Amino acid sequence: MNAQELIAGARAQQRAALDEPSGKSLLASYGIAVPASRVVKNASEVDAVFSGVKPPVVVKIMSPDILHKSDAGGVKVGLKSAAEVKDAINTMAAAPAIKGARIDGYLIEEMAPSGQEMVIGGVRDAQFGPLVMVGLGGIFVEVLADVSFRICPITRIDAQEMLADLKGAAILDGARGRTAVSREAIIDVLLKVGGEDGLLMRYANDIAEADINPLIVSATGAVAVDARFILSAEHE
Amino acid sequence: MNNILEEFTPLFEPKTVAVIGASAKGGALPNHFIRRIREFGYTGAIYPIHPSAPEIDGLTAYKTLADTPLPVDYAYIAVAGGQIPAMLEAVGHKKPGHVRFAQVISSGFGEVDEGKDLQAQLVTAARAGGMRLIGPNCLGIFTPRGGVTFAEVRPQQVGSVGIVSQSGGLGTDIIRRGLARGIQFSGLITVGNCADVAPTELIEYYFADPQTKVVGMYIESAKDGRRLFEMLRAAKAKKPVVILKGGRTKQGLAAAASHTGSLAGDDRVWVALSRQTGCVLVDTLDQFIDTLLIFQSLAPKAGAPTQHVTLFGNGGGTSVLATDCYARLGLDVTPFDAVTIEPLAALKLPPGTSITNPVDCPVGTLQQEEGRVAEKILDIIYSSGKLDALVMHLNLSAFVGRTKPEVLDNLMAATLRVQQKYPGRAHFLLVLRSDGEPVLEERKRAFREKAVALGVPVYDEMANAGYALAAMQWHERFVGSRANT
Repeated sequence: MNAQELIAGARAQQRAALDEPSGKSLLASYGIAVPASRVVKNASEVDAVFSGVKPPVVVKIMSPDILHKSDAGGVKVGLKSAAEVKDAINTMAAAPAIKGARIDGYLIEEMAPSGQEMVIGGVRDAQFGPLVMVGLGGIFVEVLADVSFRICPITRIDAQEMLADLKGAAILDGARGRTAVSREAIIDVLLKVGGEDGLLMRYANDIAEADINPLIVSATGAVAVDARFILSAEHE
Repeated sequence: MNNILEEFTPLFEPKTVAVIGASAKGGALPNHFIRRIREFGYTGAIYPIHPSAPEIDGLTAYKTLADTPLPVDYAYIAVAGGQIPAMLEAVGHKKPGHVRFAQVISSGFGEVDEGKDLQAQLVTAARAGGMRLIGPNCLGIFTPRGGVTFAEVRPQQVGSVGIVSQSGGLGTDIIRRGLARGIQFSGLITVGNCADVAPTELIEYYFADPQTKVVGMYIESAKDGRRLFEMLRAAKAKKPVVILKGGRTKQGLAAAASHTGSLAGDDRVWVALSRQTGCVLVDTLDQFIDTLLIFQSLAPKAGAPTQHVTLFGNGGGTSVLATDCYARLGLDVTPFDAVTIEPLAALKLPPGTSITNPVDCPVGTLQQEEGRVAEKILDIIYSSGKLDALVMHLNLSAFVGRTKPEVLDNLMAATLRVQQKYPGRAHFLLVLRSDGEPVLEERKRAFREKAVALGVPVYDEMANAGYALAAMQWHERFVGSRANT
C-alpha cells in the first residue's frame, strides 16, 4: 500500500490513528529505515512467519485502544525463538490492561542495533500549519523538554540548526566517552519528515500529530523503532 | 512589489480624510482627531461626515461618505459599531471605490463573541464597496509622510522605522516613547482585529518602501501565521524585523495525543519563526524600542557578525556587571592585545584607570584635558583594537560637583567627533546613565538628541545596549548564514 492508501484505509475504518505497521510503512515509503517485521493475528501464526525475521525480536501489541503499549504490558523485547514469541503473545493476551481491548494482532519486529535514542515529531499548528520537532530521547524529551521546533518545510540549514539548538547536542558528538552518532542520518530523517517534499507537508491535512519515538541513531544510520501518526478529524 | 506601494499610498499619504463620529458640539474622539491633524500639519482635505450638522469644527460637513467632493483616501470611523456595515455598504453601492481605506476605530466586533457576525458583515460591506478595511477595534494611524496622527504627537520628519501594532494603546506607547528615544517613524498602523488588512501586507509595504529600514510588529494572534512565515522567509531578512509577541504561552496542545503535540506551545512556534526567518523576537516594550533604535541607527554587517565588544566609560562595577551580562547574551568583552594596551599606557592616565577591556576611566581620568582625552583613547582603540562594537558609558551622576559643566560637553563632543573619523569601523552605542535628578535628565536629553542626530543610538543602561547588540548579532548571523542559499 502506498502512503495515500494507508491513510485512506485508516480513515475508512474510522480510526483516529495509523496502527504501528501502517505508520512504519508510511515512513518506509519516504525512505526512512524501519526494522523488518511480521504481523500475526495470534500465537498460532508465529511458526509460519518466524523464519522471515532475524532474532532477537520484539513483540508489540497492536490495538487501537492501547495508547501506551509498554505500560499496558504490550511490549516484550529480546525474544530469541518462535517458542519465546508465542509465550510472550499468550502472556500479553491475558494481561489485565489488554484483555478487554480490541486487538488487531501482534507485531514481531527485529531489534534495532543500539544507539542514541532520538525523537522526531510533527504537529499541525492552527495558524502556522505543520511543525516538525526533534529532541534527544528518554528523559531529555520527557523531563527536560529539550526539543527544537521548526515550521515546515525546513531546509537543510534549518535541520542542522535544530540539532545545534538542543541543550544536549554534545551527546550526539560522543560526550562522556560514547561513540558519536551520525548527525547526517538525523538530518536526513528530519528532511524526509519535515522538508519541502516531506511527509508532513504532503499530508498536512491528514496528520494532526506524529511521533517517531524512538528513532535509534548509530554512527552510520537511523532506524525508526516506533511510529505514531494521529489523524486529523476529517473535513476539519 | 511596487503594486503594494501604490496600493497603500492612500493610507500612508492620504490626500483626503473623512471623519465619521465627530460631534457638532465637539469633544468626541473624532473631534480630537480633526484637531490633531490640523494642528500637526495635515494639508489635505478633511471631510467631517454628519447626518445633520452643516459644519463641524469649522469644516464643511457632509451627510454621507458618498457626498464628499473628492474620493476619500482614508476614512476614520468612530461611531457605534452596529451602524458601520450599513454605512460602508451604502457608499460602496452608490459609488464603488469612492473610499480607499476605511479604518474602524470602534470596538464590539470580532474581539467579543457577540460581535463576530457584525465583523463578518463589516468585511463583506467593505469588500463589496471596493475599499480596504483597517481594524476594527484599533486607534488609528501615525504617518509622518501623510501628516496624519491619532496620537497627541506631531509627526516630525519621515523616519525609517515602520510599525504594525495590533494594540492601539501600545501603539501610542511606541510612538511616544520611541520619539523620546530618538526613533523616527516611517509609519505606524494600529490594526486591531485585522478583519481585512493583515499585518503581513503592511510588512510587505514596509519592505517595499524605500524610506523604511527596519520593521517592528506588536502582535497577539497571527490569524494567518502561514502567510506571515512564507512572506518573512522569502524576504530573507532583507530588512530587520523586530517582533513583540503578546500571549506567548508555553502550553502545548490541550488534548495532545503525542509527545510532540504536548510540547508544541505557541512560544515554540514563534521561536521557530524567528530561527527560520531571522526576525528578532523581543519580550518587552523596552527591548522592542531598544532594538528598533539600533537598527535605525546602525547598518548591520552580515559579513562580520557582532562578536567582540569593547566597553569604555566610568564605573568599574558597571563594567564588570556589563561584561557578565554581555557574556550571557553571547557577546565577548575580550581583553586587548599589547598593540592596543601599549599606546593606551603611553597616555599615562591617572592611577585607577584600567586600560585592558573593559576600559574603565574614573571621572578624574575623563576630565583630563577638559574631557578631550576621550578622543585620544577612542582613537587608539579604533585604530588598533579588535572590536565589532564599542559601548561607551558615562555615569552622569558621577560628574556632579566634581567637574565644570563643560567637561561633559567636551567629552560628548570629542566622542561624537571620533565617530566621524572611523565610519563603519564598529557599531558605536552610547549609554548615558543617570539617577532621575531633573538637571541631569535634562542634560541627558540634550546629549541624546545630539547623538541620535549623528546616528549614535543612546541607551539608559548597559543591559539595554547589550540586548540591542545581541539583536543586531542575531540579524547579522542569520543574513550571513543564508547568504549563499
